[in-house]
Amino acid sequence: MKYSNHLIILSTIILGFWLDDSLNPLTIKLFLELNFGFLIFAYWIFAMPEKLHSAAALFYGLVADLIFSNAIGFNMLFFVATSYIIHLYVFRFRIFSYFQLSFFFSGSSTFYTACKYLLLSPYNYSYLVLIISFLINAVLWVGLYLIMRAFRRSIFSNL
Amino acid sequence: MARSTPTNTPIRNYAIGFFLSSLLLFSDISYGTFNPLRGFVNASTLYVHIISKDIFANIITTFSSFQKNRSLLQENKELNEKILQIRAKDFINRKDNEEKFEIIDFYKSDLSLLKNNNVDIFKIASIDLRNYFCCSTHRIFLQNNNNVSADKNVPVFAGESFVGQTKAKYLNFIEVILFSDTSHVLPIKSNFFYCDARGKGKPMLISCKLNKNNQDFKNQIGDAVYTSGLGGVFLKDIEIGFISSIASFSVNEIEVLITLKANPLEETFYGIMNEETDEI
Repeated sequence: MKYSNHLIILSTIILGFWLDDSLNPLTIKLFLELNFGFLIFAYWIFAMPEKLHSAAALFYGLVADLIFSNAIGFNMLFFVATSYIIHLYVFRFRIFSYFQLSFFFSGSSTFYTACKYLLLSPYNYSYLVLIISFLINAVLWVGLYLIMRAFRRSIFSNL
Repeated sequence: MARSTPTNTPIRNYAIGFFLSSLLLFSDISYGTFNPLRGFVNASTLYVHIISKDIFANIITTFSSFQKNRSLLQENKELNEKILQIRAKDFINRKDNEEKFEIIDFYKSDLSLLKNNNVDIFKIASIDLRNYFCCSTHRIFLQNNNNVSADKNVPVFAGESFVGQTKAKYLNFIEVILFSDTSHVLPIKSNFFYCDARGKGKPMLISCKLNKNNQDFKNQIGDAVYTSGLGGVFLKDIEIGFISSIASFSVNEIEVLITLKANPLEETFYGIMNEETDEI
């Protein structure tokens, strides 16, 4: 894959994290933590597993850590782990329904949030935040999936 | 795309990535290895943000240059900022004068003990809202356009109370750790107790853990809390907040929750006492 394509993918992930940064200070009062950055990354791996491998996940994670995280290595770790799991079960995911997919991806993002709180901010760990975030992210995933698919088809029609 | 078989990345590559990122994460969380790098990135991002904001503001100003009251608005803005600066400076001068009178009364002489307070006023550049509302790390960045030398761990005040301490300096920005940050400890006192209050990781909240069997503890919700001056960093007897909750924490301990007086979200100017300042 060309570098310019990686740049486009990275830009969408950064846009997702930027959205999280902008919206989370407002939504956290409603016990909701959005995870657009992580979900967009997961979408790209799910949509193009043959193009994006461990090195890409590691690089995207490093950039996300440098710009948005409080600890270098956190996004790298989760991106690599998520990438591995998606690669492992990619054929099963292809026959999953939207409901099953949103359940899996929302669950992954909730696990990401839980680990973020446990590692970086244990005082603020809250089950309520996790449960509400899981439900809302599951709904948002469907919309995100459709938008990202339309975007991918318009941009990467040759891939 | 769907017809092509995904290539199998060897597990070895994932394992290397996993261990590498775990190592980086561990070293950063445990030893803060990448703090300077993160600070530099934050400062650079702030620069870009400020520059883009300036460009945007210039465009708006150009378009509105035909308005007659433009100069008046500008003057009004400058005067407002001046008032806020004077208010911030006035607070520390007043407290300093009180301290001076107390000491003069006490010692009756030896005015040479006192030096002049030298306060630098900085405008806020950014507050880390991402973490402020949800997480443990509560930091703000102050614009240091004149490149004033600001030492580490110097008290920072805003409005009529202290808000935190300087942590580091990146490019032309000073990073300030707020009291509500979980890694910050502040020696405080009330009428009935002294303690080291730790940030709660929630906006404007710090807490103290006290022995349940402490018979002297007679505080009630709403009682004022002051800096104790222990440790020699903060001036003593500055009101920093009030007790907002008293709850049982464990079998032998109670947790006293203190709501801070100064709200960083409402303050524009912050004062830092430089090295010539008295430590009373």
